[in-house]
This record gives sequence, structure tokens and C-alpha cells, in this order.
Amino acid sequence: MKKLIYFLCLLPLIWIDSSCTDQCTETRTFRQFTPVSLTTTQVRLGVGVDKARGMVNPGKLYTKDGYLFINELKQGIHVIDNRNPSAPKALAFISIPGNGDIAIRNNFLYADSYMDLVTFDISNLADIHEVSRSKNVFTQGQFDGGWWYYNAASNSDIISDQRVDYVTQTLKTNCEATPTATAGWRTDVMSFQFASVAKDASSTGSTNGTSGSMARFALYNDYLYAVGQSDMKLFTISKPAAPALSNTINMGWGIETIFPYKDKLFLGSQTGMLIYDNTNPAQPKQLSVFQHARRCDPVVVNDNTAYVTLRGGGGCGGASNQLDVVDITSLTNPKLLKSYPMRSPYGLGVDFPNLFVCEGAYGIKSFNAADPMQIDKNLQQYIEDVQAYDVIPLGGVSGQKTLLLIGRDGFYQYEYTSAGRLRLLSKLPVTRPSLT
Amino acid sequence: MLSNRMLLCLWALLGSMAAAQAQFPVTKQGRPFVNYTELGGLFGRVAYAVNTWNGSGDEQVDNKLSLTIQTFNGVQVCPRLAVGGVVAVDWYSAALLLPVGAGLRYDLTKPNDKNVRVFVSADAGYGLNWLNKSSTNNEVKGGLMVNPGIGMRLGKPGKGAFVLSLSYKRQAVQAQKPLQWNDISRDESRVYNRLAVRVGVMF
Repeated sequence: MKKLIYFLCLLPLIWIDSSCTDQCTETRTFRQFTPVSLTTTQVRLGVGVDKARGMVNPGKLYTKDGYLFINELKQGIHVIDNRNPSAPKALAFISIPGNGDIAIRNNFLYADSYMDLVTFDISNLADIHEVSRSKNVFTQGQFDGGWWYYNAASNSDIISDQRVDYVTQTLKTNCEATPTATAGWRTDVMSFQFASVAKDASSTGSTNGTSGSMARFALYNDYLYAVGQSDMKLFTISKPAAPALSNTINMGWGIETIFPYKDKLFLGSQTGMLIYDNTNPAQPKQLSVFQHARRCDPVVVNDNTAYVTLRGGGGCGGASNQLDVVDITSLTNPKLLKSYPMRSPYGLGVDFPNLFVCEGAYGIKSFNAADPMQIDKNLQQYIEDVQAYDVIPLGGVSGQKTLLLIGRDGFYQYEYTSAGRLRLLSKLPVTRPSLT
Repeated sequence: MLSNRMLLCLWALLGSMAAAQAQFPVTKQGRPFVNYTELGGLFGRVAYAVNTWNGSGDEQVDNKLSLTIQTFNGVQVCPRLAVGGVVAVDWYSAALLLPVGAGLRYDLTKPNDKNVRVFVSADAGYGLNWLNKSSTNNEVKGGLMVNPGIGMRLGKPGKGAFVLSLSYKRQAVQAQKPLQWNDISRDESRVYNRLAVRVGVMF
């Protein structure tokens, strides 16, 4: 009898032997691109002002005089009264097909609409209306990695665009850190484009708004700079209601963001950071190029230090997701001080010594950047349960220690202390239909 | 001032040790301290998809073997049952884990004078990643560990013995994966299901 009991005790071993299979599942969310086309008439007739609506797919952030302008990717702009950051109030929604960028000078709002630049009068927020339109000034661009093209010369009124869907897949893996079959998952290769934080410099008496570090629009004196993939368009806004295209500067492929700082322009591109001298705003001159890995996202600058986030693709090797700290004491010869590995860096913002880096789906990090060589050791806070794509620390703008943060899951406002600790003030939710 | 404080600390330390001895006269009251130290292998398999790019969904199966070292330190609370803590080091191929937890050893037979005794063991805890060093963006986070099994002690009763054990070890791990071109997020959830075969000594 006893022997039988012993034998029964050994039975689970047979089960153990057959069930000892490691179970490893990789979950990946990625963008999928579907070609779509639309007509210029459709785009131009689509402009209008509606009542406030919820955010679905927020893009760049822009703020001026306590009001927020949040781009809804390719749809338009949410206008929000944020004079009390603890209780932001949605006022209206400006429908602008193909909109991704915003700039505001005094009472005029400039917005792109695929190939056009549209100007709105926002002096009365209850009566926002279109005042002028510069037609066919842009030929291509991208939203969230999806490209659009328009060829005005071909007499066709068709705009080719790509719809971006988020797809989540799971796959059984071999439990090793090295990827095995995942290379096959790559679809069309696109980079992601979002907003980042730049303070529009202005030496005139006009008032400009503040954009994020991923902005493609910048205001300086009587000019609106709009960077495209390979060039920078200069619009004269001496007549603010009617901007006129005055110059196009070729810059090489892959320009992603513009950050004006003092009389310099810092451009984030896929090949590096470009520094332009802007003492003559009508004709910015290239001073230097800081080249690094293949992919380069936004740049922010504080005094003699530039902070650049790079979000890499598969071809960039192990250290492709990183934060670069660049010494720009000599603007003609920028030097890399140090690179820090990051998870998935997007926009960033600096209110020295606080440096805020968005980590995409992996949250937001608050660093103390006082010692450029020890930034990774000075992580002050890491909030993981937000999806952070761009930030604006208002400390350098209005003196208010408020951090505006936009992500896929909401628009957040934090109060930050000098020690870089973040305290949530308010959140506007994003309702996004999920795709699997 | 400082020396006074140090003296106070020393006194408190000595006092607590004396108190501990008074509370747990382990050896004298027949509740001896027991230690099992074992070394072995974690045997398993993994089945995963290959050639996902052409949609064929072929499956590949690999065998897996990882080194494991483990020490159980406990108290013989009754003649057949020992309860204590367990610390191990497991070298999985993509994670070096340090599981810590609680465990028990229970003899299946009443105390006798035979030289071979069979026992069952059950350990549960958390696998820490303290010893792990990962390449960039491949960081791992530990997870729950359970390890029930059966074993044999070979040796004279009341003396040290050799131990031979077979157990099932389940260890959960969360791992990062580097992002590719158009990825928003990419993470891996791992559950290591292994057959642990260990040899060692106990006293």
C-alpha cells in the first residue's frame, strides 16, 4: 500500500516533464499604413468651426495667453480655455483637414491644411473665421508616420495620403533577448512626427504663442518658418492677416522640427541637428550640422547646451533610442557631450535644470540636467502610466511652473517643483477606438 | 557624542542578540536549523513561430537548459516539517534571476532509522533581477516564482545527507524589446516552465 502511495506521488513528475515548455509572448503595437486619396476641393471646403468635441488622435500642442490649441491629427484644432490649469474648458473645434501645425501671432492663427496655409482670425474666440489662404505652398508632409503628396503642377487635384492605424500583434518567441522572426514584421518604413517645445522668438512688439519641441512652424520677427521634409518655407507676415510665401530654402532630406533660440534656428532632422544663423530673418544661413545616427527627432536648447532625442529604427543598431547632449558653445562646431539610452523618446522640454523627456508609450521622465554628464543618474521622477509624446514646460514662458503634456491617452497638466517632481493638475481624456 | 551613540548601538545589538537566543534556543529544544544546498539544471523546451513574414506560421522547438543553484535555510518545526526561506540563482539564457522566497520541506515518512527518506518541497517567491545585466532596451523585470517538487535524502538519520530532487519551477518575467521602425510599444511576457533536477547536501 505504501509503495503505491509513493508511486502516486511520482505521477506529477510525468506531467511536469511534458509541460515544461517556456511560454513567451511578445506583444507589439505598430503603425499600419493604408493609402487613401482625397481632392483639394474636399480639403478646402472642409474648413469650419464646430462646437467643442473630445480628443481622438491628438497631435501638437500650442499655447498662448492661457489658451491651448491642441491639434487633432489631420482633422483640426481643439481650442481650450486653460487660464485655470486645474480645470481646462473646451471652447471650440476648428475643422481643418490635413492640419498638423499651429502658430499664432497676435490675433491670427496660422495652420497648415495639406498643401495650403490657412489664416484664421481668433480675436473673438466665439467667432473664429478664415481670413486668407495661401494655396499650394506645401507639396508633401507626414502625419504620425503616414505620408501625403500633392503635385500642383500636374493639374490634378488629387492628394495622396496614408491612413495610419495602430495594430497590436502577439507572437510566440523563443524567450531570448535576440529577435528571431520579428524582422518580418516590418511594414512600410516611416518615421513618426509629432510636436515638440520651442519658444517662438520675437524681437518685435508682437506676441507669439509657444509650441512644443516637435513643431514644424516657428515665428520670428515678420516671418513664419515652416519646415517641410527637405526645405524651409518663409512666409512674410508683415500683414498678419495675409501671409505671403517669400522664400524657400533647401535643407536636405528629413527635416523634422524647428526650434528657434535667440537669433539661431535649430532644426532636428533625420540625419542630425542643423544650426542656422537667423540674424537676417529673410535669409537664414547654415552654420553647422551635427551629424549622428540616422534618425533624429526634436531639439531643445538651453544656453550652450542642446538636447536632442533620437528614436531609432531597426537599422540604427543597439543604441538607437537615445538622448544626446550637445555642447553648442561653438555654433559652427557642435560637440557631443554624452548620449543616454532611452526607451522610446519623442518630444522633450527644458526648464533648466529640469529636463522632461517623453518616452512615448512608456511614460515621461523628469531629469535634473544640471550636470550634463550625469543626467541618467539624476532621474527625478518617472511616470510610467501615461503615454507621453510632447511636452511644454511653461516655466520659461510664463514663469508658471506648469508642464503641458500631450499623449495618446490624454492631455495632462502637471505642476512641477524645482526638484522636478510632478503633481497632476488636470487631465483631458482621449477616446481612441482601439484596433487589434 | 558620536562614541556615545555607537556604544548605544552596540549595546542594543548585543541585547537583541541575547534576546534572540533566549527566544529561539533552536538547537536545544529539538528544533534544529536545517539547510539544503543544491545545484542542478532547469530543463525545458520552447516552441515559437518562425517565418512570420510569409505567413506560413512554422513552429520551431528548441531545448533549453539553465544552471540553478539554491539554498534553503529553515527550522525543523516538527519532526516531519521544516519551514524556512529560499534563495536561488537561475541562469536563464536571457535573464539572470535571483529568486527569493519562502519554502517548506515535508517528510513523507515518519521518522525512522532508514537511510533513504522521501520528502516533498514547496517554494514560492519572487525572482529579482538584481544580478541581471541586459543590453540596451532589453531590460528584464522579475516576477513570481513557484517551485513544488519531490526529493530524496540519502544519509544516516540525524546526520548530514545527500539530496536528490526533482521539481517543477515556474518563473514569470517581463522583458523589454527594442523598438523597431514603426513600433509604438514592444514588450515580452515570459513564463519559464522548467523541470528542475538538483543534487546537493543537507544538514
